[in-house]
Amino acid sequence: MVRLEYIKKEYEKTRQMPGKWYLTSCRYKFNITRFQPFLSALKEKRLIGLKCRSCNTVSFPPKLVCGKCLTRPDQWVSLRETGIVATFTANYMKDETTGEANAFPVIAVRQDGADTTYLTQLNPKVKFEDVYVGMPVKIKWKDNTEGNLNDIDYYDCIDDPTQKMDSLTK
Amino acid sequence: MDKVGIVGYYQVQPSLNLNMGRYEMIFNTVRGALDSVGLKRKDVTSVVSATNDYYDGRTISNCFTVEAGGAYLKDESKVEMDGAYAVYYGLLRALSGHHKLVLVWGGSMPSCFPYSSSTLLSTDPTFERPLEIINDLTAGGLQMRAYMNKFDVPAEDIAQVAVKNHKNAAKNTSSLPESRMPDISTETVLNSDVLSSPVTELMYSQPCDAAACILLAPEQQALKIRDDPVWITGVGYSQETYYLGDRDLSRSQSMQDAAQMAFRMAGVKDAKKEIDVAELYEHFSHEELIFAEALGFCDPGQGPSLSTEISGGIPINPSGGGMSGNAPCATGIIRLIEAIKQITGEAKGYQVKDVQRAIASGQNGFCAQTNMLFVLEGGSK
Ligand SMILES: [Zn+2]
Repeated sequence: MVRLEYIKKEYEKTRQMPGKWYLTSCRYKFNITRFQPFLSALKEKRLIGLKCRSCNTVSFPPKLVCGKCLTRPDQWVSLRETGIVATFTANYMKDETTGEANAFPVIAVRQDGADTTYLTQLNPKVKFEDVYVGMPVKIKWKDNTEGNLNDIDYYDCIDDPTQKMDSLTK
Repeated sequence: MDKVGIVGYYQVQPSLNLNMGRYEMIFNTVRGALDSVGLKRKDVTSVVSATNDYYDGRTISNCFTVEAGGAYLKDESKVEMDGAYAVYYGLLRALSGHHKLVLVWGGSMPSCFPYSSSTLLSTDPTFERPLEIINDLTAGGLQMRAYMNKFDVPAEDIAQVAVKNHKNAAKNTSSLPESRMPDISTETVLNSDVLSSPVTELMYSQPCDAAACILLAPEQQALKIRDDPVWITGVGYSQETYYLGDRDLSRSQSMQDAAQMAFRMAGVKDAKKEIDVAELYEHFSHEELIFAEALGFCDPGQGPSLSTEISGGIPINPSGGGMSGNAPCATGIIRLIEAIKQITGEAKGYQVKDVQRAIASGQNGFCAQTNMLFVLEGGSK
């Protein structure tokens, strides 16, 4: 599987010089001490978010700084494993053998108990056509968690009580 | 605010694959702007450019644009954002009282780098990048869906914005030739290739090669250069959160704040009545609706019911806007140029009647994270 190339046009007249730009060799550091409660919770298959004491916003994934208050949130709060799809789109992956492009849902999940959303992927078996805004989802943990965000294998759909009500009333 | 006049401008004809190098493109733009008012390089006292290191394939890329950009032995500096932000810094220099003529240019050549793939590198390396699922296109898909869902807006209404702008682009000889579609329909837009559901190819501002330049001068100097400069009477600028998940994607708080600031400065009380035409940089068609609502032209979610054609109640993007081609780092300047043309009556074929006051915007970041808005006025005000 490779990412679809968005570049279709090729050069026609001008001569081109090939060039390389080693951007992906950059390193990024982040504060693992302040993040440790979050990572430890993930390892235990628990979710926690960071709450700003000033504006009460609970962020998930946790943000080390609240931009609204310019403070460092330090209150960890437990979150449920469930959430809803706040908005979604698709990511297209090309199957290298068949050349076919398949749509995979990309979702913004609002975790129950959090005020922000997390951009992530749904169970790859869920059809893109079946996704909707407001769809309830639940975390599918990896079997062996290591204490990082990859411990969340994906989000899976769960029964939607409101949909059932709809079908009963119809 | 003291008045600053726009005394000259020039734009290189956009192309999907311009048959020249970056250096010549920049030279043509800058030389073109100076020639448009018969000025010389020595008249320029300050230069602000807008490019991007990645787009240029060089770090601190304005080191190579010094000569072509007219900045030899000048106090040039660069903004790594849309050109509208360079205009803002140019405006501040003109207002400082230390400069008589500020040259502002911006542009890039997406035919030389993978534009949408490069936006992957704008994402957060901790939470977003490892999944490789977010770039400017998927962000646009999330934004369009959030807007449609919040206000029950059908995709047809958003395709209609693309139809209007591609039809307008067909009347504008400065648009990207491939963007000119006089006979386009909503079906064509909806049935074009899906870029990131529900965004289709014809709802997306096609990246293209181009550069644009404008010349700014403080009031007295501007009137020495020409009798009829277009005046910048208001400017506003605001930034939203970096993380898409921290924002309400169905609206634009940054455009609302920018508008409030710019309108207060220009003394505009009722935008819908007092603005004659708007040139907005929409990266996707749905953003034009979100912006129109943020500008106060209508209530949230009512964007599709506005009459925004060239002859409409509040014409938006008579030039075609972002749909007429997106030259990264130049698009905001091109929107300004198009607003100037509307005021001076140079918008042949897509001229809005009796334009006295226009607005023009530039943006930067995923889902228009930041917005810059200018209020422009004609006459000797
Ligand atoms: Zn806060």
